[in-house]
Amino acid sequence: MEKINAANAKPTFPHSPKVKVRMEYLTQIRKIILTLLMAGFALLMIMPFIWMISTSFKSPADVFTYPIQWIPSSLNWEHHIKVWSGANTFATYYLNSLKISLISTIGAVFLSAFAAYGFARIQFKGRETLFLIYLSMMMVPPQVLFVPKFLMFEWVGIYNTHWALILPGMFTIFGVFMLRQFFLSVPSEISEAAFIDGAGHLRIFFRLILPLAKPALATLAIIDFSWHWNDYENALVFLIDKDLYTVPLGLQNFILENNVDYNGMMAAATAGIIPMIIIFLVGQHYIIQGVAGSAVKG
Amino acid sequence: MHKSWMKRQSRLGYLFIGPNMIGVLLFFIIPAVYSFYLMFTDYKFMSPETHFVGLDNIRRMLNDDLFGVAMRNTFVFLLAVPVSMGLAFIVAVALNKSVYWQKTLRALYFMPYITSGVAIAFVWMLLFQPTSGPINGFLRGIGITNPPGWLSTTEWSMVAIDIIWIWFMLGYNMIIYLAALQEIPEELIEAARIDGARPWQTIRQVIWPLVSPTTFLLLITGLIMTIKNFGIIQAITQGGPGNSTTVLSLFIYQNAFRYYEMGYAAAISWALFAIIMIFTVLQWLGQKRWVHY
Repeated sequence: MEKINAANAKPTFPHSPKVKVRMEYLTQIRKIILTLLMAGFALLMIMPFIWMISTSFKSPADVFTYPIQWIPSSLNWEHHIKVWSGANTFATYYLNSLKISLISTIGAVFLSAFAAYGFARIQFKGRETLFLIYLSMMMVPPQVLFVPKFLMFEWVGIYNTHWALILPGMFTIFGVFMLRQFFLSVPSEISEAAFIDGAGHLRIFFRLILPLAKPALATLAIIDFSWHWNDYENALVFLIDKDLYTVPLGLQNFILENNVDYNGMMAAATAGIIPMIIIFLVGQHYIIQGVAGSAVKG
Repeated sequence: MHKSWMKRQSRLGYLFIGPNMIGVLLFFIIPAVYSFYLMFTDYKFMSPETHFVGLDNIRRMLNDDLFGVAMRNTFVFLLAVPVSMGLAFIVAVALNKSVYWQKTLRALYFMPYITSGVAIAFVWMLLFQPTSGPINGFLRGIGITNPPGWLSTTEWSMVAIDIIWIWFMLGYNMIIYLAALQEIPEELIEAARIDGARPWQTIRQVIWPLVSPTTFLLLITGLIMTIKNFGIIQAITQGGPGNSTTVLSLFIYQNAFRYYEMGYAAAISWALFAIIMIFTVLQWLGQKRWVHY
């Protein structure tokens, strides 16, 4: 039916084939021009990164030469070597960040999934009230919580240990919201059939819902991991010993100790950014999906 | 029978929520309540005694010139949000259809948003270097003989921070706009074109109104995100020069962990909460009437 309609519609198109070809040609040109414009602007956006990497390989004399030397006259690896060697190096910071981010993320994904299932799929007393409390906690800025958490952690003795970041990191209200949204979108017929077969909530959660939710779990995991990896504020407040430093703190420390070594600074910044760029390139689809989905669905 | 089933359901519900709830209680609710109490005390870290001081902290805050400065800087900081959104909208419309390399370009624009704030802070610090930095080098190159001192001057420091923040948020805003644009039915745009609308008219009269819920959402969430942030500023300027980049959230951090005025810091942090609350209420109202879906 539709095909016939489309065929019927064609002859009513007012332009002759010759004009049509010319118009397509014009749109093509417009497309190319727009692409070049957008690519130019995109290049401007990532210019700081290119400058950072190029500067990390320059000799100190070439840092500020103008016009900018995008390709260093000689490759100087010594700045990168400096960043990765010495007393407190990026190797330590990487291990610390990796440990904190991994444990927090695994905990957060699992605990959020559990709670999200409860909120989405089980009827129980006080569910709406509890959910409202969760909602309201999202409004509380981290600044409100810093001082009390600092005092609490001092008191229990986890201040200035990695636990001060890992334990709170395992609880993300955003994660509960995001996964709840996803679980609500899974048709209830699926679990009803399992109920009839005699399965309980626990079984349905582990056997049915979790496998279905793999993409959503991956999205949350990647976003959460990147959040922990880049987290500077919490580390700043809760860690003091240099051997406990995470990548952002290590970066700051390196720059405080080498504040005239611009090449070294850029080598350190490169070291701080590279892991996230790799994760982004690998998990781009999930990150973009997660960011877009969470905001549009609100 | 029904009652016992309900009971069982409730027990199961708590079993599922329980583990997460313990954490939320420990790391969100109890600290929030504790902070509320601290607001009314003169608690200083390591001080021998703590007194209940009533509204003294709030009075002090309202009379503190620095609080006013921090407020003003915060508003200048917030200006980055609409600017970044405007640019992001243009990029999103352009990337939505009529370009090649769509995915690659999208990834490039999004790149700043996923990188560590501290790392980019230091890159920008050097880019903005007043005497020999590349940005001023460029400005001199195009004939501006006296380019701004950026982060080293009180007049320009907040502008420099805004530029960094616009750059940082652009990719995020763009992604959300793109998602909204992809929801617009093709026929609507086609119909506008058949009615003789030029691309600019289509954007203004069809696309822009249709994405208004997204615009509103981005504005509010962007304002909230920005008002909470202090990492980038702490890393670059620590609030200086003078107090020209001390925003509210940084002011709280400094009072608490530089001067150990924890009671006072708690009071200011609740002022921050009040602002966030206003934004949240606006969003809630806006969802209902200001924006057409």
